[in-house]
Amino acid sequence: MENLLHDFRYNESLEEAIRRIEGLLKSAYRISKRQIALLLLQGDEQIEKLIDDREPGSLEGIKQVVKETREKFDQPLSYVIALERQELASRIAADVITQKPKKASRVSEVLSRLTIQPLTGIPILLLVLYLGFYKFVGELGAGTVVDFLEGTLFEEHLNPWINGIVETYIPWKPLQELIAMDYGVLTLGLRYAVAIILPIVGFFFLVFSVIEDSGYLPRLALLVDRVFKKIGLSGRAVIPMTLGFGCGTMATMVSRTLETKREKFIATFLLALAIPCSAQLGVIMSLLSSHPGAMLIWLLFMAVIFLFIGFLTAKVVPGTPSNFYMEVPPLRMPKLSNVLAKTFSRMQWYFVEILPLFLLGSVIIWLGNLTGVFNMLLSLVEPIVKLMDLPAEAAESFVFGFFRRDYGAAGLYDLNSTGALSPRQLVVAAASLTLFVPCVAQFTMMIKERGLKTAAGMAAIIFPFAFLAGILLNALLKLTGVL
Amino acid sequence: MKDTGTAIVKNKRSAADREGAGCHAQVQQSVDHLPKILLVGTPNVGKSVIFNKLTGAYVTVSNYPGTTVEVSKGRGRIGDTVYGIIDTPGMYSMMPITEEELVTRDLLLTEDPDLVIHVTDAKNLERMLPMTLQLCESGLPVILVLNVMDEAESLGLEIDVRKLESLLGIPVVATVAAANKGLDILKERIRKYGESVA
Repeated sequence: MENLLHDFRYNESLEEAIRRIEGLLKSAYRISKRQIALLLLQGDEQIEKLIDDREPGSLEGIKQVVKETREKFDQPLSYVIALERQELASRIAADVITQKPKKASRVSEVLSRLTIQPLTGIPILLLVLYLGFYKFVGELGAGTVVDFLEGTLFEEHLNPWINGIVETYIPWKPLQELIAMDYGVLTLGLRYAVAIILPIVGFFFLVFSVIEDSGYLPRLALLVDRVFKKIGLSGRAVIPMTLGFGCGTMATMVSRTLETKREKFIATFLLALAIPCSAQLGVIMSLLSSHPGAMLIWLLFMAVIFLFIGFLTAKVVPGTPSNFYMEVPPLRMPKLSNVLAKTFSRMQWYFVEILPLFLLGSVIIWLGNLTGVFNMLLSLVEPIVKLMDLPAEAAESFVFGFFRRDYGAAGLYDLNSTGALSPRQLVVAAASLTLFVPCVAQFTMMIKERGLKTAAGMAAIIFPFAFLAGILLNALLKLTGVL
Repeated sequence: MKDTGTAIVKNKRSAADREGAGCHAQVQQSVDHLPKILLVGTPNVGKSVIFNKLTGAYVTVSNYPGTTVEVSKGRGRIGDTVYGIIDTPGMYSMMPITEEELVTRDLLLTEDPDLVIHVTDAKNLERMLPMTLQLCESGLPVILVLNVMDEAESLGLEIDVRKLESLLGIPVVATVAAANKGLDILKERIRKYGESVA
């Protein structure tokens, strides 16, 4: 049988151009000169640069050939080349594929359509959010499981036990406080990491893995594409954005999949500003779950901020929205083994990442306490916190939050368990903490992906904005008397 | 003599990425001095699943395009040979548009792979073949994998693998990687390929 691939030739003008360019190329490359020539004909700038580095003398002649060849065609050469390749591919495909009657059930097709059409898609989205996140992550994870681990295990048993041991065997008070007591490495750092954050993040990753493997996300991308266009993003950004509800650091890295610089910028900014990570989200949901009205206000406020700031950013940052094109994979039944393996590997990553930071956080707070720096910071933040009608102790959460988002949220959790906050204060604190600076890890990733200048600029905007938004929200709620 | 290989664009982030980006459960084993297999293909066709199966490691696998944004490297024994296996971000053609695509093409231009496995979604074979063609045009040794064969079959698509093999003149293997189907044949083909080169 003939070997179609090997014998494949483009039309004569192209082949002639390829031959000429091959002749002009002097050095050896790791891929064939034929492919190099084809890429040059398609206007590949990276390859031009490569040639320029390796054999600058050849480039001019090559450019001349490319120019002459371009003039022979009405369409761009990349189009002509792609078309001829596709023709061959279609010929081969027709030769080897036989279409038999479908065996596939229609159920997944119907379901797929329902998730994309707004009329049914939006209720489905709300249902997924309600069941997956509110019920499962919020109530079960952040509620029941955290209550047990944090309230019962740590507060009632472990902490008093640790405090007792430390008091008995360590005579020096500062050292006692480093290990135990209010801000100790074990009683605060370890407790936050193991008993509050890890279970929430674990529950989130479990739900997220199921959603990921089902193929729902690309459909969600289609659903929200139109709204996202308004804020300078395309449906493609759904994946980094939803991932941001898990971990902003991870999401900032994934924003790499977006096509334009502008989209990456907007996505990074919105992730840093308006998307709470799972740890924050879980804590906030469990804080607000006893006040459905407060929860709704927080949700609306965050949505408005997200859209409004997105809209503004899209206006300010130059560029046009990119076209949206995404493969939509079939809906699939998630495989339990993969869901578990993925959840586990993400929890492991998260734990390895956060535990040292949480412990270090305790040490820094301890140092800050010893030296008085912590109190100085607190006294700086306190007046702002008071402007939001929050108790002075809430300043702690903000100072913590500066270190890590989830840390701040966990601090809020602590504060609320003493019954110190009213529903209005809860909403205001939750909202401004959500907006507040991204955690150290996310910020590092922002620098890595977008550069120091951009990242620092973003932080400089977010910092005052979070407080301002909190103050405004509080004033608004007080004025209207809603809460 | 292998050429001196200049990276097309110096990937200035690559070193830094390797430290902080573990959230996608990337794998970074040393594959220096091992014969190299590069897994390439459009997004969401199962490159990472095959990577996991060949190396016994775990990199994140999902049902949407773009799960892999980083390169993973792992070791896998096939027959008597230990190979360095490299998982890459999805790429639609040899002409990259996005950053991750560029990463993959850079690898093709710099890694000097002993074997390139082009992983495709059997359902969309017609759309995937142009890239097979481009890989072959590049003079790379290619094995074509038709993955998610089960879904193609349930759509009623019957693919004559033998015929495809002879039309293309390269090994073609049908797999359902997530269900472990066809992987033995793939390994067998890799082994044979290795022998024929040696």
